[in-house]
Amino acid sequence: MAPRRRRRWWHLVGVALVLMWTLPPFLYLMLLSLKPERLIVDPSRLVFWPTLARYHDLVVSNLGLPIWNSTITSTVGSIFTLLLAGLAALTFSFLEFRGKEILFLIILLPRMFPPVTTLIPIDLMLKTLGLIDTRTGLIVLFTGFQIPLAMWIMRIFLDDVPRELAESAALDGASWPTIVGRVILPLLGPGLLSAIILSFIFNWNEFLFPLVVTSFNAKTGSVAIMSFAGGYKQLQWGALATLGVVMTIPVVLFVLAFRGSLVRGFTAGALKG
Amino acid sequence: MRWVTLGRGRFWFWLYTLPAILYVAVWRLGPALYTAWLSLTRYNIVYDTQPRLNHLANYGALLHDPSFWASLRLSVEFAVIVTTIELLVGAAAAIFFDSDPPGRNLLLGIFLIPMIMAPVVVGTVWSALFDRSVGPIPYYLAVFHGPRIMWLATPQSAFFGLVIADAWEWTPLISLLLFSALQTVPREHLEAARVDGAHGMRLFWHITLPQLTGMIVVAAGLRLMDAFLEFDKVFVMTGGGPGTSTQFVSMYVYKQAFNFYNMGYASTAIVALLLLLAVAYGIYLRSYSRMRMAAGA
Repeated sequence: MAPRRRRRWWHLVGVALVLMWTLPPFLYLMLLSLKPERLIVDPSRLVFWPTLARYHDLVVSNLGLPIWNSTITSTVGSIFTLLLAGLAALTFSFLEFRGKEILFLIILLPRMFPPVTTLIPIDLMLKTLGLIDTRTGLIVLFTGFQIPLAMWIMRIFLDDVPRELAESAALDGASWPTIVGRVILPLLGPGLLSAIILSFIFNWNEFLFPLVVTSFNAKTGSVAIMSFAGGYKQLQWGALATLGVVMTIPVVLFVLAFRGSLVRGFTAGALKG
Repeated sequence: MRWVTLGRGRFWFWLYTLPAILYVAVWRLGPALYTAWLSLTRYNIVYDTQPRLNHLANYGALLHDPSFWASLRLSVEFAVIVTTIELLVGAAAAIFFDSDPPGRNLLLGIFLIPMIMAPVVVGTVWSALFDRSVGPIPYYLAVFHGPRIMWLATPQSAFFGLVIADAWEWTPLISLLLFSALQTVPREHLEAARVDGAHGMRLFWHITLPQLTGMIVVAAGLRLMDAFLEFDKVFVMTGGGPGTSTQFVSMYVYKQAFNFYNMGYASTAIVALLLLLAVAYGIYLRSYSRMRMAAGA
């Protein structure tokens, strides 16, 4: 029994270490967002009567706009991504044609090179199209960003769909759209879910592009944080922390709800990305 | 498998595929090629109405631009340092997770949050922690008579501050990758070695580590390239300063393009960085495949 007990003790130390590594920065951010304004520059005060004033401000004032922008653009962007990438992934999974793997690689290629490579032309393009500082512009961008990743994930899941199902439906005279809608789609739940969650999170976290192509109306949450943090940082730590907490809530929820599929999706995405 | 049964099926296939291909071509591949073209032009959007070809003049200027070389060196240093730290801590965490602690999946989920949350928020959190007026780190250092460090305000400590923030954010990724590799180490090998009398360090060194090498190389490669192009946290935490002490390459490119409006010259820097990365990637792939051959895989 002795080695076993030692192992359990070791585990507790490990759990404590992991939590001590990960949690304090979050807790401090939350603490800062709840701290009354007059106590905020006093780091020694860890116990105080919390105030929800800043969260209230976020909801009633236009500080909430960036969060709304982030939500709308990330959601709509990932839905479009999934639509385009899902349909294309069908071809790459089910159809044999010459040069298929090369074409697939060319589509995945943009994931290999860093985002800065396309920053300048995209800025110029959006200016020409009059889409600078609009949510539409951001949605257009976000849709394109995650197509390679979503196609990659969707193809992995599509390759697992039994071919016989689709083939027998085809023999019965069903057209391809019918087969997709009736036979393949119902089997794709988990794949669609991980693709859409990952695209959403990547869009939500995107910073460089929104920073360049939005300024006021379509400013996203991550860009809004900069308007507090830029320049002299003594300003408005409370509002900054509040925005940070709000930006992190969806991510934490997603992680806790879908940790199994996320771990798989991330490993696949990271290996190819 | 062939789709003879579908008859006109190919029409649908292409109808479904074309939008995605066009989209990627217009918004991803096209702009990348346009950047390559811009790199050969003089295009300051304040002075020039149109990009004007100046052949390789930008590349010549870049070669003799000391601030470009300085930022390149900083980025390489940063990438190497953070990758080393993240590998060490990440491997320790991966081994811990592999030993099946209670509540492993939940714990792993919590551990992964820093890498999934917005990098800008990571930057914000650490700026707050290091801040002189609201931050607990300088405060507790002072309480316990530790060194007085002006975290993000002096060149060396600002670099160090970024390293800490990056280690916090990305160690989980390395852990996750190594953990998934550890899970595939066959238990029989471990049992067999244990029966032969190996344990502790020897077991790890001779049985586990060789199985991990592949993933360690992959993880290190991933992190090196990502950290080399680090932008978000630098922008939030230091803005490249104080002075140019944390002006990594992405920050350099950003400043050239959006503070000085030299789109042509910034594109040149981007293309140069891409070429460097491509060379590094080539070397990496070659040594990786050679290593795998040597391992007999």
